[in-house]
Amino acid sequence: MSSHLDLRDVSVSFNGFKALNALNMSVRKGELRCLIGPNGAGKTTALDIICGKVKPSAGTVSFDGTALQDLEEFEIARAGVGRKFQVPSVFRELSVSENLDVARARRTSVLGNLRWNIGNSGREDIERLAELVGLTEQLDRPAAYLSHGQTQWLEIGMLVAQDAELILMDEPTAGMTAQETRKTAELFARLKGKHTLIVVEHDMGFVKAIGDIISVMHMGQMLAEGTAAEVEAHPEVRRAYLGSGGISHA
Amino acid sequence: MDQFIEQIVTGLSIGSILLLVALGLSIIYGSMGIINLAHGEFVMLGAYAAWVFHTYLGLGLLASLVPIFLVVAAFGWVIERYVLSLLNNRPLDTILATWGVGIMLQQAVRLSVGSELRYVQLPPALSDSMDVFGISVSSYRVFLFVVSIALFGATWLLMNRTPVGMKLRAIIQDRSVAASFGINAKRVYALTFAYGAGLAGLAGALVSPLKSVSPDMGTGYVVDAFMVVVLGGVQSLAGTVASAFILGELSGGIAFLQNDTVAKAIVLLAIVVLIRFRPEGLFTARVRA
Amino acid sequence: MPSHVPNSSGLQRLIAQLAPLLIVCAIVFALPVLLNNDFLLNKVARYLVLGILTVSLGLSWGFGGILNLGQAMSFGLGSYAMAMALKLKTVPVHTGASGLPDFMVWNNVQHLPWFWEPFRSLTFAIAAGLIVPALVAAALGWFMFRGRVTGVYVSIITLATMVVINLVIIDQQSYTGGFNGITDLAQLEIFGVAFDAYGRATYYLVACCVLLSLLVAFAFTKSKAGLIVQAIRDHESRVRYFGYDVALYQIFVFALSAAIAGLAGMLYTVVMEFASPTFLGVQLSLSVVVWCAVGGRQSLVGAFLGAVLVAGMQGALSESAAFLETWTLVMGALFVLVVLFLPKGLAGLAQVVWRWIVQRRQAASGRVAQGVGQTEGST
Repeated sequence: MSSHLDLRDVSVSFNGFKALNALNMSVRKGELRCLIGPNGAGKTTALDIICGKVKPSAGTVSFDGTALQDLEEFEIARAGVGRKFQVPSVFRELSVSENLDVARARRTSVLGNLRWNIGNSGREDIERLAELVGLTEQLDRPAAYLSHGQTQWLEIGMLVAQDAELILMDEPTAGMTAQETRKTAELFARLKGKHTLIVVEHDMGFVKAIGDIISVMHMGQMLAEGTAAEVEAHPEVRRAYLGSGGISHA
Repeated sequence: MDQFIEQIVTGLSIGSILLLVALGLSIIYGSMGIINLAHGEFVMLGAYAAWVFHTYLGLGLLASLVPIFLVVAAFGWVIERYVLSLLNNRPLDTILATWGVGIMLQQAVRLSVGSELRYVQLPPALSDSMDVFGISVSSYRVFLFVVSIALFGATWLLMNRTPVGMKLRAIIQDRSVAASFGINAKRVYALTFAYGAGLAGLAGALVSPLKSVSPDMGTGYVVDAFMVVVLGGVQSLAGTVASAFILGELSGGIAFLQNDTVAKAIVLLAIVVLIRFRPEGLFTARVRA
Repeated sequence: MPSHVPNSSGLQRLIAQLAPLLIVCAIVFALPVLLNNDFLLNKVARYLVLGILTVSLGLSWGFGGILNLGQAMSFGLGSYAMAMALKLKTVPVHTGASGLPDFMVWNNVQHLPWFWEPFRSLTFAIAAGLIVPALVAAALGWFMFRGRVTGVYVSIITLATMVVINLVIIDQQSYTGGFNGITDLAQLEIFGVAFDAYGRATYYLVACCVLLSLLVAFAFTKSKAGLIVQAIRDHESRVRYFGYDVALYQIFVFALSAAIAGLAGMLYTVVMEFASPTFLGVQLSLSVVVWCAVGGRQSLVGAFLGAVLVAGMQGALSESAAFLETWTLVMGALFVLVVLFLPKGLAGLAQVVWRWIVQRRQAASGRVAQGVGQTEGST
């Protein structure tokens, strides 16, 4: 399989601080890639670059042959990139079903969306999504009333609803209980193959449970890539994590 | 040449009044993120306080400055404590609330003192004029210039060299971290707001001999002061000074060249363009969040 | 759950949401039957027009999160469009039929300015009253939202823009009537029906426009685009990453709101029989914000009633100067209290009360159903 997403020599700096320093990464179609690394390694920035939140000062990002680095955020999203944020981002005053409805961005133009939805088409779709993320009971409640874990789930559900080819997840299990984390892992396993996923995660248990290939970042660069066992044995990775108590406790 | 210098001096004089009025607003906006639309009414209260102290207590303007500062600051403290502190994290609503408070203050003054214009006497010691660069300038305007610079200096010291100022800057950086170090954010905010209000009161008292005092006099001031703050950049006291004098010179200059309406419209359009392209102000470095 | 059930419940919910709107409109239409006083009816019509204006603000502020402090700009533009057309229909004293409007003669204007010329057509004027505000808003919206201006800064820009236009209108006296506005207008006449400001026809015209604008606004908020606009209010960047061009949605709701405000402005000219720079003044613009906040910014009917009730109350009290002064004080206090404790306004309060009643009823009927054969507990 040819590479699906390609980051080539991507650099970006904030006030002289090089958050990414000639980062290279490629991901194959349908792969579930985990991105780990010590704090400040540039993992979130890498996702920001892909989804257009941050523009690279040098380098290229290509996705299915499209150069993403010059596009606006919404254009990147239309090209098939979805993003879940570290701080759960949902529409707090809208109900869960409305949140999911907004995420189902089949049509994106203003005029195309002026039509009414009296027949409630897509309602089954939304109910299925709600069931998938365990929010059936909460469908008509405002998202503001959800617990932290439920909010995380809602945003994940919204990304499934968006049905993006490439899904970027920034610490999806933060604040979840062990049981919720396990359910998330199951969900990701189901998404794999149909979608390409890049997951930034600190929880090594979770990473081992879901990931095929793990990419380790350090100081804005790619340090190592491989299976969990390979990465853990990698001498430079061990050095990078020294002091933070080893990779499993990062 | 004389006319040119005269124009510069007029600009400086307008600028010093702008700085007086804007200083309090700048402190409050920069540190608490609150656009205080009642600021003009604090200015108005200061002017009325000067009038009351003079008419009923026979106190001269200079003698009443300190009590005026305290009275208006107390007002500010009450409003922060009982209105604004209830509106954490709702910035648009604080604008609305302060505006409502402004209406109430204006109307309360109108009902109690009446809406006719009041006049405050110049301090006798400052009622003559003096020679500046070969031009005769009223001593009081020179006095205002000096006072505005002095108040700026005092505010700068307060913010940068005192424990309260340090605490305030800590809270601006990160409120929860500051709180975990035992800084009482509520108290510091209330004090900051009171200080800003007190400054506005002082400004009102100081300009009262130059302009007539009326319940709705604050509206114009709040707009001008706001422009100064936007131009100077939030969280930049030095920027406030620079922009106050730039705007002073500009409005003096434009009014001289054109009529007043055009001057006003041009300044407003400039503000609109500035906000669109540099919302952080002219004198702040661009910082990435 | 079978798939047809949610369908019907969706429709039912829609009807339930539409009910308050229809009830209010029914009352508006029924009022002339109860109120047999042309003078009073004209006053009510004024408040209804202000209600439409407030609905337009509710649309952009409550639903779109765009606090437009210059909402009266669109209102004023609509009002002037109508006034220009009606002015050209008068027979000027000095120059005779199809001559120059009186104030132009006083200002030594020789020819009708080019931008007045098309207003000889009433159809053009009415179209302009809707389209000009919408276009101006779209341009301003493009300027702001393409640059991702948000929150407070939107409020400042809209306010400043309105003040600039207001200054220009006052300054260009020979073309706009300046400070006095445009007065001494002909009556509006459409399809042979004359709309006398104090006549029933005008009242019903206003009532129809109330219904129309509430329905249009309602339809928009219930569409997917309306939902997306609300999502933008809650979390702008999140919407962007779903592939929607956020600025376009903001521009759209901003322009739609301006068009409705323009409609209200045209009606205001008909009801008041003049146009004035105060119609796009800071005072009115800020009053609209108060009405909207008091009524409930996230409820169209709430915003409408907020304007009608508060403006109506103010109008009723304005007979006595002392009352009016106190009223302003009370108004300020009421506004602060609403902002502090009722962010959703009276409509939000009504919702809470309604839910409470429904719950009590359900609880009561539940108790009755259970309570057969049991002794009532200490509940």
